[in-house]
Amino acid sequence: MDWDALRVSLRLGAGTLAVLLPCGIWFGRVLAIRQFRGKSLVEALVTVPLVLPPTVLGFYLLFAFGARSPLGQAFQTLVGQSLPFSFQGLLLASAIANIPFVVQPIQRGFEAIPSDVRDAAACCGLTPWQRFLRIEVPLAWPGILTAAILTFAHTLGEFGVVLMVGGNLPGQTRTLSVAIYDRMQAFDDRSAGIMAATLLVIAVATLMLTTTLSRQVSPRRG
Amino acid sequence: MADRRLSVSLRQRTPIPLNVEFTCDPGEILAVFGPSGSGKTTILRSIAGLYCPEHASIRSGVEIWTETSTRTFAPPHRRTVGVVFQEYALFPHLTARGNVMTALGHRPARERAARADQLLDLVHLSTHHDRRPQQLSGGERQRVAVARALAREPAVLLLDEPFAAVDRTVRRRLQDEIDELRRTLEIPLVLVTHDFDDVVRLATHLLILDRGNAVASGALADLTSRPDLSWLRDAVGLGSVFEARVVRRNPERGLLELAFDGGTLLASDRVLNAGATVRVRIAARDVILATSEPKGLSLHNVLAGRVSALNADPAFEHIIVQINLGGVHLLAEVTRDAIARLDLVGGKQLYALIKSVSINVIPEFRMPSDQGPGPRTKNQAPRTK
Amino acid sequence: MPRRALRSLVLVAIVIVAFWAGVAAQRPPTIAAAANLNFALNEIKDRFVRERGTPVEIVFGASGTLTRQIQDGAPFELFLAADEAFTSRLTVAGLTRDAGVVYALGRLVVFAPRGSPLTVDPRLDGLARLVKVGKGTLPGGGKFAIANPDVAPYGEAAEAVLQKHGLWDDLRPQLVLGDSIAQAAQFATTGNAIGGLLAYSLVVEPGFAQRGTYALIPDSDHLPLRQRMVLLKRASPTATQFYNYLQGQTAREIFRKNGYGVPPVAEPR
Repeated sequence: MDWDALRVSLRLGAGTLAVLLPCGIWFGRVLAIRQFRGKSLVEALVTVPLVLPPTVLGFYLLFAFGARSPLGQAFQTLVGQSLPFSFQGLLLASAIANIPFVVQPIQRGFEAIPSDVRDAAACCGLTPWQRFLRIEVPLAWPGILTAAILTFAHTLGEFGVVLMVGGNLPGQTRTLSVAIYDRMQAFDDRSAGIMAATLLVIAVATLMLTTTLSRQVSPRRG
Repeated sequence: MADRRLSVSLRQRTPIPLNVEFTCDPGEILAVFGPSGSGKTTILRSIAGLYCPEHASIRSGVEIWTETSTRTFAPPHRRTVGVVFQEYALFPHLTARGNVMTALGHRPARERAARADQLLDLVHLSTHHDRRPQQLSGGERQRVAVARALAREPAVLLLDEPFAAVDRTVRRRLQDEIDELRRTLEIPLVLVTHDFDDVVRLATHLLILDRGNAVASGALADLTSRPDLSWLRDAVGLGSVFEARVVRRNPERGLLELAFDGGTLLASDRVLNAGATVRVRIAARDVILATSEPKGLSLHNVLAGRVSALNADPAFEHIIVQINLGGVHLLAEVTRDAIARLDLVGGKQLYALIKSVSINVIPEFRMPSDQGPGPRTKNQAPRTK
Repeated sequence: MPRRALRSLVLVAIVIVAFWAGVAAQRPPTIAAAANLNFALNEIKDRFVRERGTPVEIVFGASGTLTRQIQDGAPFELFLAADEAFTSRLTVAGLTRDAGVVYALGRLVVFAPRGSPLTVDPRLDGLARLVKVGKGTLPGGGKFAIANPDVAPYGEAAEAVLQKHGLWDDLRPQLVLGDSIAQAAQFATTGNAIGGLLAYSLVVEPGFAQRGTYALIPDSDHLPLRQRMVLLKRASPTATQFYNYLQGQTAREIFRKNGYGVPPVAEPR
């Protein structure tokens, strides 16, 4: 069991959540509540990472931020390391790849709130911020939680883009899924097997959690 | 009481055409009546601050809530307005108490729970304060919605088809409670409805809305005794509404004696106490006219009066006659032939004949729990014009 | 509401920690190594760490892949390739300290896993027989594993060998390409192929003996696999130490034990 790899995987999952959840909540809410021109285009763009092969994402990230690109060189001079092959670069790739997993369940969560409930909240004297925190977020909570769980699980399973952008650096970008691959190449099937089983357990647990949660949503609506 | 008067003026062309202007004083219930799509809900939302029409001026007392000419617009949380939504819009994740507490932000935190309980008691929801909306019945939910609307100590109370979602029996009770509110609160109440029964039962004033335009507006008694409102005739049928007082009951004969400005009425008996104020509605079709006092009829009600107005509009199938009975105006719908036969003209003296069963008696405010000693209404004299 | 504020604070804390932890980590130098060095280099590394006490990390991969990653800014400090062409690419691009040294000479073997219809011999007669009998296809629709010639020098050498024996055209549709010589070995040893052209250094490992049989391919059948290593510009003192260690006696013994040839001590640059 490569504990370093597990740590990297968990950090990547948590980091992706930390970056995406606040944006996802804001953005999902806007999509749920506002009507504006080009909204369907925006919604389609949000879905793109779902159908995008991870290697395509990896390619464009390397192209845009690699050491051979002006952006990459600027980053290097500023921060002292390159963006690809660093945990931060991986975080960026993971965040982009997970946009649909975050935004869509949250959008559904906010959409499920009847508009007259929101109006009633305003008529109760609640400021927009109070409305958001005390009425909307608690009601959209199942959607937010689903988004968090899905994103976390999906991040753990990422492989293609991690390998391309991260480069399998131990302790930094070698996630658990990449470590499995690495161990197999090194003819260490035992370690690979243990780590594969771990990821499987996590995946199943995630599925069960989301199913339980979605069942809890209906009684709430009454 | 101009300090709490609600003044509304709305004008716009799109998306829904609107052109209305009205006021509502404390103690009045203004019913905004019209078919769906007429703009009633838009008016309500404008008053609540949920919508701003192209041109609008909305004031509550001296507070300017909307004034498009100066680009002034106060959002709902900055208006002391109480709204009861059509489907109550209760917060599903909060208890009944929690729902009411949400609107008590202007009170210190430690007072809120107790005050919420007080308000729920006020609307006759004494138990189940800890229940969530899903666990409450339709009538109970409406009460929570009302309590929540009142919690803000609003300057105006708005009700959007509040009885649409409940059945007849519960509706009666809820109407009583709204009536009770009207007497205890000293704020204007605006009620949006497409059910004329609500209007008859509760409203003191009426605004009839058709495709955004005010067909007519004014006191209920006045509007219902106008012979020229073809819109109302087409929609619900014409019939005067006025106030009367119970003189006595006569259970052996199955009769109820009522006194009003135009005389005495004998209606079918019901359980009411002497001195109780009631509203009376008599459909114009149920009024027969006679030029001489008839004898030997089963009719109990023969009232003497004068023709005060006639509507002989050729577009009307029948003629509408307005009869002045001691200041109260009654409407009668008769054929053209009858006009000729009786030679009806303005000023002519005649008799209005009304069957007891045609007199629709609507008790004004009765405590739901007691059938016995009188309700605590003030003894109001029958309404004069 | 303080509960909400606390939650956002926790989130912010996670972000900060995630970023800070990534940046501030002081990790041992990372060395990029061609996949054929899996067993040999790990052994050398263990000895080095035991003797010097300073750890190093190794990342294995195909030489071509690693070269590309270095070009894209991967923070490796030392690169052990499976040939010279890839290191010279980096040298020409100005990413290395110098042209480096040849540290080992690689050999190819033909390998057949247990139960395979393939018989192994240095001239590939067994393979040729299978191809002829099957009239172009291998028995049972089987595959033959080599490393991808585009990214792995051992794969390039394998192609040269097959060309030499006139088997390349017939075998091409039946080839399964590993993204490194290690993956090719995976395919061959796990029975997903009837055999393959693999690195000698991978099959000579004691654990491999039960997996199947192999025969050394004469190194005249392909261009020599002169494996060169280079220090990258950012190499730390530890990396340099390891670079020197790899040229020392202990390391050379281990290379030899693992099926590599070793160049004479003073190899001209």
